[in-house]
Amino acid sequence: MTPRGDDDPAAGHARTLLRTATGYSGSRCVALCLVSIAATGGGLLLPVVLGRALDLLLAHAPATRWVLGCAGLVLLLGLLDAAQTVLTGTVDARTTAWLRRRLTGHVLGVGPRAADRFGSGDLVARLVGNAAEAGTTPGARAALPAALAGPVGGVVALALIDWWLAAVFLAGAPVLALLLRAVSRDTSETASRYQQAQGRIAAALAEAVEGVRTVRAAGTERRETARVLRPLPDLSRAGHRMWRVQGRAAARAVAVAPLLQLAVVAVAGVLLSRDRLSVGEVLAASRYAVLATGVGVLVGQLAGLARARAAARRLGEVETEPATVYGARRLPDGPGRLELRGVTARRGGRTVLDGVNLDVPGGTTLAVVGRSGSGKSLLAALAGRLADPDDGEVLLDGVPLRELPHDDLRGAVGYAFARPALLGGTVGQAIGLGLPSSSPGRIREAARTALADDFVRRLPDGYGTAVADAPRSGGESQRLGLARAFAHGGRLLILDDALSSLDTVTERHITDALFGDGPGSTRLLVAHRGATAACADAVAWLDDGRVRAVGRHEELWRLPEYRAVFADAAGPAASPARQGASQPVPGPRSGDEQGEGRNGVNGQTRTGAADRGGTSKDKDATA
Amino acid sequence: MTSSTGLPARGLRFLLARRRVLLRLAVWSVLETGQTFLIGYGPARALDEGFLHGRADVGLVWLAVTGLGVLLGAYGTARVYAAVADLVEPLRDRLVERVVSRGVRSGDAGSLSGLTQQVEIARDTFAGLVMVSRSFVFTSVGALAGLFALAPPLLLVVGPPLAVGMALFATTLRPLARRQETFLVADEALAGDLGTVCPGLRDITATGAEAQIAAGTGERVEAELRAARALAHWGVLRVASLTIGGQLPIVLLLAAAPWLLSHGVTTGALVGALAYVTQSLLPALRNLIHGLGTSGSRLTVVLRRLARPDTADDTATPPPPATSPHPTSTATADRPQRAGGPAAADHTANDGRGAPAPSLSRSHTAAKPPPAVSLTSVTFAYGPASAPVVHDLDLVLPPGAHLAVVGPSGTGKSTLTALVAGLLTPSRGTVRVGGHPVPGPAAAAARVLIPQEAYVFGGTLAENLAYLRPDPVPEEELLAAAEAVGLAPLADRLGGLDARVEPPALSAGERQLVALTRAYLSYAPLALLDEATCHLDPETEERAERAFAARPGGTLVVVAHRISSARRAGRVLVMDGRSTAYGGHEELLRSCALYRDLVGSWSPALAR
Repeated sequence: MTPRGDDDPAAGHARTLLRTATGYSGSRCVALCLVSIAATGGGLLLPVVLGRALDLLLAHAPATRWVLGCAGLVLLLGLLDAAQTVLTGTVDARTTAWLRRRLTGHVLGVGPRAADRFGSGDLVARLVGNAAEAGTTPGARAALPAALAGPVGGVVALALIDWWLAAVFLAGAPVLALLLRAVSRDTSETASRYQQAQGRIAAALAEAVEGVRTVRAAGTERRETARVLRPLPDLSRAGHRMWRVQGRAAARAVAVAPLLQLAVVAVAGVLLSRDRLSVGEVLAASRYAVLATGVGVLVGQLAGLARARAAARRLGEVETEPATVYGARRLPDGPGRLELRGVTARRGGRTVLDGVNLDVPGGTTLAVVGRSGSGKSLLAALAGRLADPDDGEVLLDGVPLRELPHDDLRGAVGYAFARPALLGGTVGQAIGLGLPSSSPGRIREAARTALADDFVRRLPDGYGTAVADAPRSGGESQRLGLARAFAHGGRLLILDDALSSLDTVTERHITDALFGDGPGSTRLLVAHRGATAACADAVAWLDDGRVRAVGRHEELWRLPEYRAVFADAAGPAASPARQGASQPVPGPRSGDEQGEGRNGVNGQTRTGAADRGGTSKDKDATA
Repeated sequence: MTSSTGLPARGLRFLLARRRVLLRLAVWSVLETGQTFLIGYGPARALDEGFLHGRADVGLVWLAVTGLGVLLGAYGTARVYAAVADLVEPLRDRLVERVVSRGVRSGDAGSLSGLTQQVEIARDTFAGLVMVSRSFVFTSVGALAGLFALAPPLLLVVGPPLAVGMALFATTLRPLARRQETFLVADEALAGDLGTVCPGLRDITATGAEAQIAAGTGERVEAELRAARALAHWGVLRVASLTIGGQLPIVLLLAAAPWLLSHGVTTGALVGALAYVTQSLLPALRNLIHGLGTSGSRLTVVLRRLARPDTADDTATPPPPATSPHPTSTATADRPQRAGGPAAADHTANDGRGAPAPSLSRSHTAAKPPPAVSLTSVTFAYGPASAPVVHDLDLVLPPGAHLAVVGPSGTGKSTLTALVAGLLTPSRGTVRVGGHPVPGPAAAAARVLIPQEAYVFGGTLAENLAYLRPDPVPEEELLAAAEAVGLAPLADRLGGLDARVEPPALSAGERQLVALTRAYLSYAPLALLDEATCHLDPETEERAERAFAARPGGTLVVVAHRISSARRAGRVLVMDGRSTAYGGHEELLRSCALYRDLVGSWSPALAR
């Protein structure tokens, strides 16, 4: 319909969406169109039949056929109305469901990019609200000819009875339109005042909700309630104003149509008194005038269609983000060697990663460190293809990630995040998310490795507790996310700052398990704490999107700028000293080559700790 | 109309309390009745006395009168809105009060959507319901009165089908409302599902669970589709009642026309009757059927949700506490390895005292002041089947003691403070604060809890600081407290005590300072700091903790965030989920491996 649609990809997608959706309920749409046209036709026929029957009855002439015709028409209209109701309801529902299925599938296919681009809250709004609105399009379009035919037919019928009638109606119609126009203007101002008051209450409530432990402990619930409710009188005043404004608008709306109809009846009456019309025709004219004022309904329907099209456009916008394409090259057996070759990635016009080359041999651990904003998380996302680089290639055991099929890729790479989103209903299902077959034993084992088993068993229903009902701290969420990654397994495990909320004892237990014979043979971990970095076989130091250096933590530690990376991190820094001192507790591993290396770290850093003595702030690390 | 007990009764009470508003509503609605009356009566007279007698002027006068009626009716409509506002706004006020009061009590973030969405849905649907049902009543009265005025036999023709149509509608109302509710529930379930899927896209992709999630969401979409279909099919009954109640009278009027005309019904009256049916009754009935069918059940669902009893506290109210006397002297195997020292001595001194023996404890109090905190065999679990978080814990703190609680996360440190504060009730065992049973008003007055998430509200700094004091606090005292805890620089920066504080403008650490100073000002002798200093730097933390420890007669329990807190404290409680250890810092370093471990990972310098 819009000529500029061609240069607007979203509108193009929206059109395709709506066309396909209409095709999906094609026969129903055709039926709806026919039924609604028939209903409108019947509705237009009824007044004239009614008038004819009345005239015959008044003349005491035989009118049985006309009365029966009337009855038949009323019955037919009822049936058509019923059919229309069912058809509209089902077409709307089917289209909405189809749109939702298609877009949910698409959004899942796009993956995290979709949330990055649109924001997850906005995506939900599109999939729920906009899909429902857009879903009414096929039905509304199918019924549009009939909706158009009603008012037009009414005016034509008036003209057929007597052209004066149509003339009076058409002369009065602009007045009607003008009066109705003024309605929507002052409502918006009162509405915004109402929303402001509501916003003040909501803001105060949000504060109180956040401070619930304090409020509960202090027993000040009543006072808090009163404080939050302080703007309530304003809200009430604004609300009353809204109703008054609406009342004025409604008064206009209810007056205009009957007055117009009375004008038509008046002219018809005058014509009747001059014997140019019969009583039946006056009756018919009065009915047709009502049908013709149905133009207001038509305007409403058109506005609805416009809204639906805008909604469809927002759905089309989602489709402009292409789904991730997977390859068909099978992943060969291998140790899980990860290579980044000249990887460059841009976000919002800024080059976040600039020609990064890294080689992580199978079975080793690489820690990625750097100031915030240095591109660590993006690197972690690229390494397991949660995003694609703009330039360069990421390879797993020699195969570019882009060429791998979905199942091979996801089966080989496991992820854990700083703030995991836990999906899947119960805690157990959340841990087993994505597993083709998840046995309770495997889930429990993974939870045990992540030190989550204890607190999960303390939940009201243990592993069967709904995720939403499971009260948990950030650290506990993180441990569930780790458990999910451990249950998932794979040859490459990527921990994107996934230990950051753990207390140091828990973190060390988990890293011990992880670097012992934990799951995932190759590990990439984004770290903020020096202790975490010290566990790794090598550290990649990212600075401003480039790899500044790769080396062992204790080697790099000599560089003041490297140390500054950790001083920067939230809270007091964790120096290697901390890790050194925590080593004496024997870990599960014994005498493997990595253990050897780490002991070297310890020897060195323990001296460092002694040098630094008690003067440094760093001695008190965050729990 | 609704199946939930109590809701109709409450609704009735709400309306009865607003009789005057209802009366006003009725008075203005009568204007609408008048308009309806004229819409058939006017044209009938215009025909009979005017146009059909060749007197167009008389006919036009009657139509003009009808037109005036329309204008008057419109005025009535405007006033009706104002009266409806007087019904709807108080309802909205009540619902907002309810939602806010529950949100404040439960801390449920869902109350925010209740405030901005559900309350608004209730407001709109309630207003819609009042409008359509009122309009139907007054319109039909006007139309029926008009029919009677034109010719009483007309009522005999129009009345019965109208009654049948309404009866049919009334019988479908309940099943229809159920379908509507099913639909709304399915819709919400879908929205809720997508509300977790969309923020979790990264995790879904990372686990390769796209197909699994798509299938789950697909099921919800399918459920909503089924519900919408069922609703559409039930719409047929609505159409049927409308056809019978609104359209059938037209046919009947025609069929009965010969009989009516022979019984003194005039031509104008017949036309007027047809006008009543098509222009007044049919639209009013249609609005009623559509309005009640959809907004009615929506309102019921939303109101039921808003009016349901508080559920958010279920985690806070575990099975009723067993107050049966517990063999407190049995030192079970998994009992904390109790180091000697004054606390342990206190404990043994109190051991003989059974839990529920107030008189005994009072006589005891006479001898020496009661312990600031005493826990006797306290066990707590979040559910009957779940493993306990706190297991069989005994602890006695004398007044003036300073205890640090340490341990890995998730081992029950916060739970312990909540038990002492009375926010949680133990499954077994008893808690006393200052000799008063917990929970209880005396115990509540004797302690103050400062949680990790500091509460600062939009208001002046003085209001925030004096929050826990019943009476106004002198400015000097506020300033002295700010100085002692370390808030003074922030207070200066903000512009003094009367400056307005906007919580989002403060850093987490600054908020903690405000909360600490507030607690410092409270009269409660026992202060429970549950990681309340975690966003402060070590110096500020130390200053605040020392200020609390120095309060005369003040007892301090700190869930320690840094090992330096434990070193400052006279006693340390180590919690690790299964067992506990208790003693002084040095002593625990010698005897408790976990403590050594904790100290080690916190600070190597101290470990050696």
